[in-house]
Amino acid sequence: METIITASKLSKSYSLGVKALNEVDLSVFSGEVVVLMGPSGSGKSTLIRTFNGLENIDTGELEVLGVRLGSFATEKNILRVRKKVGMVFQQFNLFPHLSILENVTLAQIKVQKVNKEKAEAKAMNLLKKMGIVEQANKYPNQLSGGQQQRVAIVRALALEPTLMLFDEPTSALDPERIKEVLDAMRDLAKQGMTMVVVTHEIGFAREVADRVVFMDKGKIIEESDPKSFFTAAKEERSRKFLNQMMQ
Amino acid sequence: MNLLKKNNSQKDINLKHLTTSSTNSLPQKINPFNIRILTRDFFSNPLDTTLTVALIFISILGSVNILEWLIYKANWNIVTKNINLFIVGSYPKEYSWRPISWLLIILIISITTLYTNLFKSRRYLIWIIIIPLGIYLHSGGLGLKPLPTDIWGGLSLTLILTLSSGAIAFPLGILLALGKQSEITLVRFVCKIYIEVIRSLPLIAVLFFGQLLIPLFLPMEVEINRVSRAVLAFAIFAASYIAEDIRGGLQAIPKTQCEAAEALGLSKRQIFFQILLPQSIRTALPSLTNQAIGLLQNTSLMAILGLVELLGISRSLLANPEFIGLYLETYVWLAFIYWIICSIMSLLAKKLENELRINQAKE
Ligand SMILES: Nc1ncnc2c1ncn2[C@@H]1O[C@H](COP(=O)(O)OP(=O)(O)OP(=O)(O)O)[C@@H](O)[C@H]1O
Ligand SMILES: [Mg+2]
Repeated sequence: METIITASKLSKSYSLGVKALNEVDLSVFSGEVVVLMGPSGSGKSTLIRTFNGLENIDTGELEVLGVRLGSFATEKNILRVRKKVGMVFQQFNLFPHLSILENVTLAQIKVQKVNKEKAEAKAMNLLKKMGIVEQANKYPNQLSGGQQQRVAIVRALALEPTLMLFDEPTSALDPERIKEVLDAMRDLAKQGMTMVVVTHEIGFAREVADRVVFMDKGKIIEESDPKSFFTAAKEERSRKFLNQMMQ
Repeated sequence: MNLLKKNNSQKDINLKHLTTSSTNSLPQKINPFNIRILTRDFFSNPLDTTLTVALIFISILGSVNILEWLIYKANWNIVTKNINLFIVGSYPKEYSWRPISWLLIILIISITTLYTNLFKSRRYLIWIIIIPLGIYLHSGGLGLKPLPTDIWGGLSLTLILTLSSGAIAFPLGILLALGKQSEITLVRFVCKIYIEVIRSLPLIAVLFFGQLLIPLFLPMEVEINRVSRAVLAFAIFAASYIAEDIRGGLQAIPKTQCEAAEALGLSKRQIFFQILLPQSIRTALPSLTNQAIGLLQNTSLMAILGLVELLGISRSLLANPEFIGLYLETYVWLAFIYWIICSIMSLLAKKLENELRINQAKE
């Protein structure tokens, strides 16, 4: 199986003393859906953000899609990785001054140098699949949170990424909007997309994940398939976390 | 005397009333013809009623007096006889069609921009082309007879000064705002010093320095005329304020916008020009409009330095024995012209603001 991410002994601290990442080892393979879980401040965001160079690491080895993103990653390497890695954020982060269509076509036109007609055709096609094609000419603040997050997914997908990163994509949504975003992600997983997802949605993890990775205090505590993780977690800390989650 | 005091307090009360009611129900527009509000605010008790009636009486009396002066007493000869000078300065008659047609073009484009959707997608381009067109029409060359800058004047010079210095100051201000965020310490330092120094100087000083210093910085062969020196000085001055406005806009953008753009693979330059700059300009637009109007009004300072733009030409006319003492007429007329131009400018700005309506989520 093709390796998409190889991380070994990744460490990073923001300020002296607190280690956001502490010697993290992780591999992600092609077509896999990996769910990252863990208490607040455990380093999930930091870890996922190193995978597209939004966060650089202090020590350790990191290779994403065959490109080295170590502590001395060059600007060029980082851009090379970003062209192949899509990311979806908790706060959607759509560009408020651009219409939905422009949000989706911007990177196609500026980064991939696709011509405008082609980019728009592709955007419309993806928006249609996502069920939000009527919103194409609206602006982000005219959409509901769930719609905005689906646009954010489309915006990333328009670049035909090999790997998709999701950092708590449903945490900022109203409960009744969560499902529409999770459904979109489920479809994506079915199509064989490699995904790393930070989420607290146990139902989603159980059903879609190939592997659940549990982190605490910058370390990976446990890696298991979802079934055994949710029914019989090996580590005391994982069980404690799950107990809190279930309440 | 007593009455005046009372009038003031009446005003205070009304102001307070207006401000409190407007903060309570911000989106609601107060209809000035709403009888109920009128009675509540102006006729609620005998004192209110007396004051209101007195105020109305005084305003009518004042307006009648002013109208009487405007129509019968004022001597408008200074305006009617010199209308040419006010519009194009001492530009020779046989060539004055050049600045005049430029002014007409500006007027037409302003009106089409404001009230039609003509050339909507090319508008920015048209507004940019206006400036070189104006300079070409004024100075000549390329088929038109070349004419020196000393004979430029009046309204057309005022607009040339405003538009060209604005056109230089705006990109310069953006560069300074960008430089102030640079990762290179030296660049950041230079931009910071530039902005601080210029902002601590009064405009008139910058203008004097401009007239005296700019020639020193240029090689001997390059002779730079007074108009260009003025334009440069204005641009240098305005750029530092524009830079601060843009920087304020930049700071209002959440960091996550950059991250989202980075994650899409956009380069630093693309992020600045596609994501940060458009958003910061939108935020800064109201203060940028103020800068533009300020620039227009400040061009009148060049009268002190001997340029005969609107104010300069008026001063030289007032020095003419034929029109001696017609100060009020002249300055009322000037105020009228400035008021018209400023109104057009703010209408244009409002239009732009609407078109770029800030689509930021309003939580
Ligand atoms: N920009 C930053 N500057 C300083 N410290 C930071 C920064 N970002 C994160 N940290 C710290 O690094 C640690 C890991 O943070 P991270 O955001 O990765 O956690 P997380 O697992 O994503 O938490 P959450 O579930 O709350 O999102 C925390 O101790 C946090 O306080
Ligand atoms: Mg996080």
